[in-house]
Amino acid sequence: MSKQQPIEIFMPPNVLKAKVGGSGGLDAGAIKRAEDAMEELKVEFAGWIIEDVNRLTQMRQEYEANMDNDRLGNLYRAAHDLKGQATTFDFPLVARVASSLCKLTDDTSYGIELPVTLIDAHVDAIKVIVRDGIKDPTNQIATVLAVELERQVKVFLEKTLGE
Amino acid sequence: MSYRFDRLKVLVIDDNQHMRRLVSAVLEAVGIKTVFEAENANDAWKIFQTEPWDLIFLDWVMSGMSGLEFAEKIRTSPDSPNPFIPIVMLTGYSSIERVNAARDVGINEFLAKPVSAKAIMNRLVAVIEHPRSFVRTKGYFGPCRRRRREGAYHGPERRASELETQDTSPNAA
Repeated sequence: MSKQQPIEIFMPPNVLKAKVGGSGGLDAGAIKRAEDAMEELKVEFAGWIIEDVNRLTQMRQEYEANMDNDRLGNLYRAAHDLKGQATTFDFPLVARVASSLCKLTDDTSYGIELPVTLIDAHVDAIKVIVRDGIKDPTNQIATVLAVELERQVKVFLEKTLGE
Repeated sequence: MSYRFDRLKVLVIDDNQHMRRLVSAVLEAVGIKTVFEAENANDAWKIFQTEPWDLIFLDWVMSGMSGLEFAEKIRTSPDSPNPFIPIVMLTGYSSIERVNAARDVGINEFLAKPVSAKAIMNRLVAVIEHPRSFVRTKGYFGPCRRRRREGAYHGPERRASELETQDTSPNAA
């Protein structure tokens, strides 16, 4: 039986607590100010999501012009940003479609070229949802589109990777 | 007594300017006066070494050095000025494998996207009020990866190393 490595466990000084003081917990005023700050930013969200979608479109074009792992990584990161932020920006279905695109582009070790038509379908769906201002997560047409894209990604991954 | 957030210096590192702005706006709204935004980990590393920062909000997926690599560098580099600094990781990932990967490089707290003002504030309070003990082993240095759950297990000791040191003879007191 091999000898176990030593484990050192210790508690560093709580520098943060020493700096901020307080008796623990947040006062309601702080939470209100934080939420108000988020509300104030909402007027900028429409412009922000358009910028993020434009970036996704650009990354799509660059990947399709040269299908290497670097460009695939860029495309994935653009989709991943939308996946994480679109709901905050009041576009939950954009987040859903971006999530599906992330699943398709996540792994750069496939060693294969991904189906351009399926990538295009995701990017175009996101552009349409933003263009038409679809913020309702139950919007019927956009939901059907998202479900179909998710299905096609699942089929592709199963067929290609045996997932 | 309210927190004196104005005394904190926070680094927000995300290659997406909108997410940086969002997190910074919330932090500034509660009174944090020094919030520095970095768009990549290389720039952040330089800034990290210039001043005594108190807290880092760090995106996972970034071009160049990833959030994971940056966190590992903070915890283990001999050039790191503060290997104990609390790190809150912003992430769109939710799978247990990804969470474990982040824990393995020394992340204190996770902030799942989509973020809300309340979630950001909760993580801020968590690192102030519930600091983690640190662990140093041959392969890891960082916050304890187990959540403290006092009294969570009341059964008999099962770890072989502990059993070997316990006196289980009938004559034991």
